Amino acid sequence: MKKIVHPLRLLMNASLISIMIVMHAHALETDFLPDVKKGIVRMEVKEPTRDVGYTVGDVLTREITLTIKKPYVLVEESLPIVGYERRYKGQLIGIDLSDLKHSKEVDSDSATHRITLSYQVFTNNVVAKPAALPGEYLRLLDTSSKDKSVYRYRIPSWNFAISPISVFGQVKVEADMSGYRGPLLLNPEPLQQRLNVFLVVLGFSLLALLYMLGKHAWLPRMGGPFARAYKTIRHAPNTTEGVQSAVSSLHEALNTTAGYSLFSNNMEAFLAKKPAFRNIQAELNQFFSLSRKVFFESNTAQPIDPEQLVWLGKLCKQCRDCERGLIPDSIATSKAA
Amino acid sequence: MSDRLLADWRQHALTLESEVNKVVVGQSNPIRLITIAIFARGHVLLEGDVGVGKTTLLRAFTRGIGGGYQRIEGTIDLMPNDLVYHTYLGEDGKPHVSAGPLLMSGENLSVFFFNEINRARPQVHSLLLRVMAERTLSAFNKEHVFPHMIVFADRNQVEKEETFEIPSAARDRFMMEIPIVVPNDDDIMQGLMFDTKFHNVDALVDTLKPDVLQFDQLNSFSSVIQNSVEASPTLQKYALNLWKATRHPLEYGVKVSNVDMNRLVLAGASPRGMSMMLRAARVNAWLNERTAVTPEDIHAVFHETVAHRLVFSPVYEMRRTEIAREMLTSIMNVVAAP
Repeated sequence: MKKIVHPLRLLMNASLISIMIVMHAHALETDFLPDVKKGIVRMEVKEPTRDVGYTVGDVLTREITLTIKKPYVLVEESLPIVGYERRYKGQLIGIDLSDLKHSKEVDSDSATHRITLSYQVFTNNVVAKPAALPGEYLRLLDTSSKDKSVYRYRIPSWNFAISPISVFGQVKVEADMSGYRGPLLLNPEPLQQRLNVFLVVLGFSLLALLYMLGKHAWLPRMGGPFARAYKTIRHAPNTTEGVQSAVSSLHEALNTTAGYSLFSNNMEAFLAKKPAFRNIQAELNQFFSLSRKVFFESNTAQPIDPEQLVWLGKLCKQCRDCERGLIPDSIATSKAA
Repeated sequence: MSDRLLADWRQHALTLESEVNKVVVGQSNPIRLITIAIFARGHVLLEGDVGVGKTTLLRAFTRGIGGGYQRIEGTIDLMPNDLVYHTYLGEDGKPHVSAGPLLMSGENLSVFFFNEINRARPQVHSLLLRVMAERTLSAFNKEHVFPHMIVFADRNQVEKEETFEIPSAARDRFMMEIPIVVPNDDDIMQGLMFDTKFHNVDALVDTLKPDVLQFDQLNSFSSVIQNSVEASPTLQKYALNLWKATRHPLEYGVKVSNVDMNRLVLAGASPRGMSMMLRAARVNAWLNERTAVTPEDIHAVFHETVAHRLVFSPVYEMRRTEIAREMLTSIMNVVAAP
């Protein structure tokens, strides 16, 4: 059975074979060319700043400056080809020339070529592995010779190390004292943010504490009638007259807060108007009972207990809390009345 | 001894209250106030609409107090001598004179009930004024004394036709003027409509335990109360401030809505009125098992003992009840104790 081959396929095969022949011829040609004599070419190379820590996708750039004395000239077609895959012993090395920039300045006795070669890494490994930017051969033409002799000039290769993308296995970071890594720093930002939040909370807490304990009118709803009464009660002497004065002060504060004279028989209206005081209703009833004994049943009542002054102070403080919209704690009231 | 006496009488007083509360429902506050008036030996004027139970209330108390009870209806043609005597032709065809309601029970008269007092003429008010103040009456060339008498009177504020406003001097003789209003409680209102026991007032009053109090001992016991219940200097100062506030309300910052306070008060509470208020307050303290008067005791009787004594400018007289209540409430609100 006869096999029929498509003409287009034949054409493609022919093209590939011709390209391979040309490339092989070029390699052979460079290999067998003589090196240019010393002193003809002066080369300056600016290599990448570091030679480790590269990984797949990184671009390494070499800046090469060649000064070629006349009558030698650079055969510009010998410059490396962008995108050409480099091999070593038949294996792709995984480092391709991704960009080339070339400029030229001609003087009376020489020509300066600035060549920028950008290589991109296309290989990686689970552990660090050595690699090199490949050496490049350039051809120089001696224009003074009759037979137009061609020479070669080699740009040396440059070794570096390719790092893995991720760490393989357990790594003790403290043992890795690479100067390139720099000191290991903790990120202070979250801690600083938490610190700021705590400082704000602390500030508000202190403010609230001062609000609860403060006696002066430097915040809204401070310096109210009960705050003033509390000052009076604190300074009242621990005598019968002192207790009477304290009870009077508290009566005055209650009247001012209620907006009318408050008695035990109109307490409910007061509590409806100022529900914050409902928490201490029992204490207020006890206060009115005490007031009755102090002011109206003086000859039948028990002698006034000086500890009542302490109790009155606590009650006044509770009232002050109510006045400031705080919820007062209950106090033991057994001593009073 | 005194403490026991006070406790025993308190029990009697509470029993009387409880008995009257069974007959007249929904009027516990007026009943408490009338009890106070009885023990403070003060006359009582009830004020309210028609048919709210004023008469029944007073009859119930009368039965509980015991003693002689006389009653007269106020009419426009009632004359003072109708209270003292009446004349008639006897079976023998000769004219006879017999004692009128005031004299009929003699010294045992404990309750004189004057129904619809504002229908009587000022001449009658004038006679009553003396009887209430002095508890004596000159008739038939003799001075008659009624040491145990309390006058209960009632009037309705609705009707103004053929009525005579009680002069302030006569009003001042009453210890209390107590408003009687229809109870708000639905159950009570429903009971008043449907409960058959309220149909016959005489039978209803007869169910009340009679002579709960001993009327002829009330005067002496009243003195015991007044002497036993103390009024501290703080309370005296408070009462004084209340009194002054009724006389000069502007100085105390007393306000009444839509009233020019400069023109409102022509005369505040009288000394007699304030004295009666304190008497009533002492009784209230005793009923509440206290040995001293407190501001709350004064509040309990303040409106009823003071409001009817205030003399307002004529322009405000038509709104007297409403203005007096608001003014006295405002006084209690602005005057502090201590």
